[in-house]
Amino acid sequence: MTILEKVTALLGEGAVLEPSTDRVPRIAPGSPDAVALLLGTAHQEGWRVRIEGAGTWLQSDAPADLALTTRRLDRIPAVEPADLTATAEAGIGLDQLRQQLADRGAWLSIDPPGLAGRTLGSIVATATAGPLRHGFGPIKDHLLGVTFVTGDGRMVQSGGRVMKNVAGYDLTRLQAGGFGAFGVIVLVHLRLRTLPRADVTYLLEGAREDLTQVGEDIAAAGLTPAALELVSPALARRERWVLGVRLAGSPALVAADEAGLRAASGGARFMPLRAEEAHAFWMRLAEGFAVRPVTFRIGGVPSASDELLDLLQHQLGDEWISASPAAGAIRWTGDATIDRLQRLRRTLAGLEVPLTLERAPWPLRGAVGHFGAYREGVGPLVAGLRRTFDPGSALVVATEGS
Amino acid sequence: MTRGGFEGLDACVHCGFCLQACPTFLATGDESDSPRGRIELMRALERGDLTADDAALAYHLDRCLGCRGCEPVCPSGVQYGHGLEAARARLTTARGVPRLARMALWALTTPGVSAVVYWFARVLRATGLPRLFAGWGRFRFAMGMLAATKPDGKRRYGTVRDGEGRRITPTVPYRPLPSLTVQLFRGCVQDGLFSHVHDATVRTLGINGYDVREVSGQGCCGALHAHAGLIDEARELARKNVDAFGDGEEPIVVNSAGCGAMMKEYGRLLGDERCERLAARVRDVTELLAGDAIKGPVPGAPLDLHVAYDPPCHLLHAQGVAVPPLKLFAAIPLLELVHVPGAAECCGSAGLFTLLEPEMSRAVLAAKIERLRVAAPQVVATGNPGCVMQIGAGLAAARVPARVRHPVELLDDSYRAAGRYE
Amino acid sequence: MDGLPTHRRLPDLVVLPGTREELIAVVRLLAAHDVPFVPRGAGTGLSGGALADEGSVLIVLTRLNRILKMDAGNRAAIVEPGVVNAKLSAAAQPHGLQYAPDPSSQSACTIGGNVAENAGGPHCLKYGVTANHVLALELLLADGTMVESGSPGGEPWGPDLVGLFVGSEGNFGIATKITVRLTPLPRAVRTMLADFNGLRTAGEAVSAIIAAGIVPAALEMMDQSCIAAVEDSVYAAGYPRDAAAVLLVELDGRNEAGVIAETEAVAELLRKSGARSVRIAASEAERERLWQGRKKAFGAMGRLSRDLVVQDAVVPRSALPQVLETICTIAKRYDLVVSNVFHAGDGNLHPNISFDATDPALKQRVEAASAEIMSTCIAAGGTITGEHGVGIDKLRYMPLIFDPESLGAMQAVRRVFDPKERVNPGKVVPVHACREWTSIRSAKFGMRNDDRQFNSAFPISHSTLEPVP
Repeated sequence: MTILEKVTALLGEGAVLEPSTDRVPRIAPGSPDAVALLLGTAHQEGWRVRIEGAGTWLQSDAPADLALTTRRLDRIPAVEPADLTATAEAGIGLDQLRQQLADRGAWLSIDPPGLAGRTLGSIVATATAGPLRHGFGPIKDHLLGVTFVTGDGRMVQSGGRVMKNVAGYDLTRLQAGGFGAFGVIVLVHLRLRTLPRADVTYLLEGAREDLTQVGEDIAAAGLTPAALELVSPALARRERWVLGVRLAGSPALVAADEAGLRAASGGARFMPLRAEEAHAFWMRLAEGFAVRPVTFRIGGVPSASDELLDLLQHQLGDEWISASPAAGAIRWTGDATIDRLQRLRRTLAGLEVPLTLERAPWPLRGAVGHFGAYREGVGPLVAGLRRTFDPGSALVVATEGS
Repeated sequence: MTRGGFEGLDACVHCGFCLQACPTFLATGDESDSPRGRIELMRALERGDLTADDAALAYHLDRCLGCRGCEPVCPSGVQYGHGLEAARARLTTARGVPRLARMALWALTTPGVSAVVYWFARVLRATGLPRLFAGWGRFRFAMGMLAATKPDGKRRYGTVRDGEGRRITPTVPYRPLPSLTVQLFRGCVQDGLFSHVHDATVRTLGINGYDVREVSGQGCCGALHAHAGLIDEARELARKNVDAFGDGEEPIVVNSAGCGAMMKEYGRLLGDERCERLAARVRDVTELLAGDAIKGPVPGAPLDLHVAYDPPCHLLHAQGVAVPPLKLFAAIPLLELVHVPGAAECCGSAGLFTLLEPEMSRAVLAAKIERLRVAAPQVVATGNPGCVMQIGAGLAAARVPARVRHPVELLDDSYRAAGRYE
Repeated sequence: MDGLPTHRRLPDLVVLPGTREELIAVVRLLAAHDVPFVPRGAGTGLSGGALADEGSVLIVLTRLNRILKMDAGNRAAIVEPGVVNAKLSAAAQPHGLQYAPDPSSQSACTIGGNVAENAGGPHCLKYGVTANHVLALELLLADGTMVESGSPGGEPWGPDLVGLFVGSEGNFGIATKITVRLTPLPRAVRTMLADFNGLRTAGEAVSAIIAAGIVPAALEMMDQSCIAAVEDSVYAAGYPRDAAAVLLVELDGRNEAGVIAETEAVAELLRKSGARSVRIAASEAERERLWQGRKKAFGAMGRLSRDLVVQDAVVPRSALPQVLETICTIAKRYDLVVSNVFHAGDGNLHPNISFDATDPALKQRVEAASAEIMSTCIAAGGTITGEHGVGIDKLRYMPLIFDPESLGAMQAVRRVFDPKERVNPGKVVPVHACREWTSIRSAKFGMRNDDRQFNSAFPISHSTLEPVP
């Protein structure tokens, strides 16, 4: 029996999709239990499985016997606007989820890079936060719990759907940013906010150094924008660098912040965007990171942001770059070689700045790895956790470089 | 069957909020040196899980200052001091009193003997030698303590004069006050080495409308004995004082916080109504001077001084007297109170503690001295003889140029500068 | 012994290392001789998490209390584990910063303990719990190896080991250096007290505030018996004794006008929800007094009786009114004194049962009532602990919310850090309830039913819910 025949017998024909371009059979289990069934079998049979969502972010090119896509896990079992929580399956597209939440007056305050239909599972597994991380924190801060299936088909729950939870170890945080190395996320419990009644965006164009200064002044003035993002000209589709400021919340608070923004920015001329312009600006920024072959993020201390931008410019160029200086986070996209990425990662490690490779073609990400340049003691722990959650190495994930 | 004070510990639910209020825990970080740890030991002692001759038990209970800094922060209202007294009484029954403590008590509190001791001490003090010898070692620290008892004869803090050299006197007129009779408690150490504080007490109270009467037949309050676990001797001394002060209505003024705290507890110590009534008459000198909450003492002349107030544990924690000393400072124009972090923490004097547990005592003191060095006041004011000596010795040893004085001494200076005594 | 009155243990040996180097030496010595050990901070925990049994060594970290670095520019600090929570905030204050997580025991508890338990506190409603404020950790594992996890900016080196470690209750090792995020002090603060005739109406007021989209800095509730305990203590705050419940609501922000507008909106919501009166603190002193009463409420429970069962369940916020009423009914049925003092805004309940443990019949009733309260909270979609941790106190409840597979996963993760399970043995994961993870699983997949609707992370089997003997 071929792999495809066995899977069809196991999950039914409905689970088998068109193969991907590299002719790897693509399987879409219809429930978390089906995911467990499939991975359990893969573990026993020794199949190598790569994990996919909607196929809009990470390239579907890892060498594998079959591709497991979560795209049929697209239900939203619960939205509780009164509790500001929701439970969604991992394969739901962010655009769909956002719409469903908005209908109930709720908001998931994340704006990850990538196309609008990117799956929730992909966002959580890669922990890719966007500009809103400035005001609302990294992806992990939005999670109340996850359910995941290990590489040998065990279903594990962690966390729950309440606001505070310290029952058991926090495996949710291990899964957030684990790139699937420790299992396939099938269900996510989310922490929500109420849909902001006021949501405005201001842009300021100028030289990078000037904008950095304005950004620092805004932070020093104690303003708390939802996003404060420094965007390179190409990515912003403008002549010069752009500082994007997003204010979101109650009308009274936003109005107060708008006044504060004018006061803090000195003579600088912030340009307000109309609602649809603002939407387009942030969306283009997110989509910009899914176009070129390589995307990575680095995270340093806020005071080092400027220096890190210089370093990136010097080593790889700064055409496609976006940074939340006050959060110390920078995302870069473009084209790069294995050698240059490895060298950059080593240089950054010397500055205590981790580089996380978010997406790249398989030859490159297999060699460089999502992670690398571990500090003392981290390597053995990651290897141990890998063995625990995927004892047969069924899941094909470029955890560390080769 | 009475439980002798252990019942005061029952309310403890081990929340741990007392830890950071305990000077010895802050010094060692060892929970056995904290209120919660010691309560556990005391409970074990009462239950019989530990015996009174257990070395570790004695070690940690001996290292307690008895400052009761844990009591005001306790949400459950645990009566730590009562429990400690009960536990120490058991320890004393089992092992007696350390010879050093016994000797110290004999020398400092026995009528007749102590008179000689204090006379020698005053002679030595007058030579100025103790000040020269002051330091951290055992002998040199004792010298520093003695030096700290010396009255400040020089009046360096002078009066404030106007441009033509005229003394500035307060604008508030001398208030005619109804005269109230109060009785003065003299104590042992306070009387032997701090008679100038008694003098200042009599004068300042006089200005504030109190007629201070001497009472014969009184003696040591018994606090040192009680802390050493000699409850019976403490009771005996207490009874003597109860007899001496009689059954009148007059307030009894005390200017030593340790004695005041003890005497306010006479009712509980002796368990009869007469003592209860006497205890109710006891007032700290600052309580009397401050009068009611609004008025405060009669103002004096300005003293251009930076003063750090160091509330004695037995005034602040045991008697709960926090505001009256501040009223007293407020009555001295220009005097500026310097904020010192952790001022309310014990100085490590704690009666005989400084003598019996020098290591812990110095560790607790050192932290306070360092903070005083930073705050740099000219005068540290505190209302307990032990604290005056302990802090004074510490300042001298650390070469921090500040004097330690009783708050009434400052008010006394201020009144003198104002010409109130002329 | 720690903050939890119902458990006490006696370790064989207590060690108090005074430096990081001493601590490492001690742990390596214990590793060489295969001796289990238990790390302990200030011992203010409420789940028995730092209790050491016979055969274990208790390592007390209170002397490792130095603030190693205060980086005001990057709003971060590096501290040793024994630094007291409130002292860190005090040290940050001159820079206009604070350490936001503020457990009620903050005047005594240590940052190391906060990290181990993932401690919360009243202001976590707006600012997040400990896990949201830890950027990097230097870890000392059971076998004496060191691990540098996280980076000064908070981005992990690979998987988020910092996030995994926070809340692991000492089972993964000892955090020897902790880098925390500091938060700017709010420029405007308003604190108000609302009192209610019924617990249920107070619960409804909480739901109304949350649903209105306002995120108060804190939203706390106390019931009548708790009010009485506080008002009898030195921390009396002037809470009305005749109220069935009071809500303490705090709003803060950068902007005075914004905070005032929100305060008015909340006051209006409170009145509409049936508050008898709403009092806004007029001065900093009054605000401080209102908070001291709340923060010392747990300690004040000692006034009610000597023994106390402390619960820490969390329920969805919309379930608060119903759950509170049920707890009341349970208390009445068992004839027990239950005092509620809790973080209402998070749905984090602390129904505390006061009793005298010397009465065995009473003790049985308390156990039965506790189990019933817990099952009520779980049935409402809640969890067994929101901030106190599992420790040994809530071990028995773990199988009620996690299946054997998930418990097995936790145990397996623990063994990655500590293969011999020598650090803080016997805590968090009830070993008997775990599915073993060492063997390769048998072919049992065919038995699964693919069509089963899967939408709850909490399969609850009520048969396991029994009062412990």
